[in-house]
Amino acid sequence: MRITQHPILEYDRRKEVRFTFNGKQMNAFEGESIAAALHANGVMTLSHSLRYDRPRGFFCGIGKCSSCFMTVNHIPNIRTCIVPVQQQMTVTEQEKLGKIPCTPFIPKKKENITREIVVVGGGPAGMCAALAAAEQGASVLLIDENNAPGGQLVKQTHKFFGSTEEKAGTRGIDIAKELLNGLKNKKTIELRTSTTVIGYYENEHMHRVIAVRRLIQGDQLLEISCKKMIVACGAMENLLAFPGNDLPGVYGAGGVQTLMNVYGVKPGDTVVMVGAGNVGLIVSYQLLQARVNVDRVVEAMPRIGGYQVHAAKLRRCGVPICTSSTIKEAFGKNHVEGAIVTKVDDCFQPIPGTEETIPCDTICLAVGLTPSIRILEQAKVRSEYIPEAGGTVALHNPFLETTKNGLYVAGDASGIEEASTAMIEGELAGVSAAISLGYNKNGSEVQQKCKNALQLFRSGPFGRIPKICKEKISSCLACEEGGTQY
Amino acid sequence: MTKKTDVVIIGGGINGCSLAYQLAKQDIDVMLLERQHLCSGGTGRCGAGIRQQWSTKENAELAIQSVKIFEQLDKELNAEIGLRQGGYLIAIHDEKELKQAEKNVALQKSLGLQVSVIGPDEIQKIVPILDIKGMRAIAATFCPTDGHADPFKTTDAYAQAARRHGAKLQTYTKVTGIKKKKNTIECVVTNKGKIKTSTVINAAGPHSKEIAEMINIKLPIKPLRKEILVTERVQPLFKPMVISFTDGIYFSQQEGGQILGGISNPNEKNGYFSDPTFFFLQHMAQTLLRYAPSLNTVNVIRQWTGYYDMTPDARPILGEVKGVSGFLQCNGFSGHGFMLSPMVTKLLTEYIVDGKTSEILHNLSLDRFTDKNIEKEAYVVG
Repeated sequence: MRITQHPILEYDRRKEVRFTFNGKQMNAFEGESIAAALHANGVMTLSHSLRYDRPRGFFCGIGKCSSCFMTVNHIPNIRTCIVPVQQQMTVTEQEKLGKIPCTPFIPKKKENITREIVVVGGGPAGMCAALAAAEQGASVLLIDENNAPGGQLVKQTHKFFGSTEEKAGTRGIDIAKELLNGLKNKKTIELRTSTTVIGYYENEHMHRVIAVRRLIQGDQLLEISCKKMIVACGAMENLLAFPGNDLPGVYGAGGVQTLMNVYGVKPGDTVVMVGAGNVGLIVSYQLLQARVNVDRVVEAMPRIGGYQVHAAKLRRCGVPICTSSTIKEAFGKNHVEGAIVTKVDDCFQPIPGTEETIPCDTICLAVGLTPSIRILEQAKVRSEYIPEAGGTVALHNPFLETTKNGLYVAGDASGIEEASTAMIEGELAGVSAAISLGYNKNGSEVQQKCKNALQLFRSGPFGRIPKICKEKISSCLACEEGGTQY
Repeated sequence: MTKKTDVVIIGGGINGCSLAYQLAKQDIDVMLLERQHLCSGGTGRCGAGIRQQWSTKENAELAIQSVKIFEQLDKELNAEIGLRQGGYLIAIHDEKELKQAEKNVALQKSLGLQVSVIGPDEIQKIVPILDIKGMRAIAATFCPTDGHADPFKTTDAYAQAARRHGAKLQTYTKVTGIKKKKNTIECVVTNKGKIKTSTVINAAGPHSKEIAEMINIKLPIKPLRKEILVTERVQPLFKPMVISFTDGIYFSQQEGGQILGGISNPNEKNGYFSDPTFFFLQHMAQTLLRYAPSLNTVNVIRQWTGYYDMTPDARPILGEVKGVSGFLQCNGFSGHGFMLSPMVTKLLTEYIVDGKTSEILHNLSLDRFTDKNIEKEAYVVG
């Protein structure tokens, strides 16, 4: 199941670790998540559903769903997709509800942290926000839930578009490396990984967030106070409703990218891709790079949603892209054994008689994302459901500040877009937060540069939807409470 | 919207919905008004414990009778209410508490309740995860027929049954005024129009105070923020609700495996404060782990707030008030509206339908507060 040859990526497999799954010895490489290591060892079922006992496998790969809950070192309900595997670890499938361990209680002292700016989420937007704020002179704490920062950027093997200034022509993974190096070299940025923000609480004059840091010895509570806060916690993969959508072998596109491009593990041998937006097209090509067969891409819309460049690359490799088609059912006993796809009419209703059964072991869903705005909702910022944003988003001004003073949002959390604009938004939010604290080396110029770049990105045909989204956000902001008069 | 009805009920919580059902069943034309959705207030936010162990006779009687109704409610309403009778274990921390507990147990037993004082060994047997030393208990009282029901399922069961009997339940309808002529009610004014009626039941939780003020009745009710949390699911560990009046804590394990509980904040002020606090999260986690250290790896997944509608004696205000005929109170439950609702609403229904009054309604009427020596309910937690 491991990818041994890849045209672009090299995997760090220097150090081997041994762990047990249900008592059986298994090998993994240091740095891999438990769920990825299990997948590499052929373990596809990670848990069973509570009510109907249905098998559940790897799905989102970034700690957002609950299908990978397992008992690790006797502690139940561990999200194994974001916890790194370790030497001598014991991993067991839970018998439904987890059993609590009988270990003695060792309280860990809470840590109090005060920082000028806190950035939540270390993806492209968050990294750029932290760098931009630090560049102006502010001290920054960057928090990420995963074992390593980088978000989805570290999974993008394709070259980015846009102007040279916005790193066009560079692969996502290389941009990520550059940003990560920048973070390392900035002494005024402190990075905390494996740390999840769990709550935002009212506090006079300061933002106060509570986070849990997952340590090998156990969890630690962090109480963090800051003057400015930038929320860049990305988005969640959408699920599609069809019979069998919970079978192991049905993955979110991000989950597939995580498996292949971070851990070098093949999701399966034959894939049906659902969705021909940019994500569906790019991930299909990445699957080919990992020498996985892509049977076809199905797309319910009558036309391809993503860039023609990506679609053409797939077609050259002989992958059919079937528009006005969708998945009807996934079948298989304990794992995907095949998919039934069907043509759909103008109203997206299946056309009887057009069903086709495709033998496959993997179904990948690239059907959009929903912004993650939980922390912002806790902070009671004004939010609005905007279809073009992918869901409910926090209203924000052109400098990404929400309706709560000193609380900013950037990247997919501010409305679904893509990595290039996430980076620019992050930079704009970071520099704006720094300026509001009185740090302004060349902040005003950076602000202008970012605003111009965003405008440029959103002026093309593929920037149409984000442009509408941002226009709706500003018109909502302009009107009084409950402003849906767009 | 119908313009005329026999009875208007204000408030779509457990009491409002139960009243709507019982009145409609007696062929009374009834309309319930709720400013948000059903269960949006205290009912949908509470721990939904059902306790019969009380220090005052009225509460104990109401609770004991209520449990009898809860026990057959699935059948009566033809729906599941999620009743589980795992008992209530009330921790006793010192000799003084023990004395009070013995007195209360005697009262409860005289009303026919199966309840007893138990020692540390038995506490451990009933709730194995408790650390007797950590919780500083010398004994406990235990009643095995106490328990818990699902507040959403129960309210929904009442609401659906009420609708089947012809009651009209109007949600997102806010009462903005009540008009009276001399000493009788004329109509209720809402954001969606006027409703002519001669009888209004005020079951609006803490907001009952504002409702009563619309016709110049003063209710001694104060809203008090209460906080509660729930953990992720773990394997079944214990059945009873564990509570301590000294520590102000209560917690139980839900059918799905979640631990649900709350604790009082000694510094909490009265008022409509709705934000969840970090103080509560810490205070609850620390105290819970003192009681049950083995829960230390269990994650909290959610915390929220609601209000107790506190009265000076921590007992409900029930029945008609002097000065306005047809204006009935069903409020001031001080945190116990869910568990007392079946019997309270039965008594109020009997009063409206047959004019039948009772000692309990008399003793818990608004008038009692004119007496300076009112008996206070000592058993309030959370």
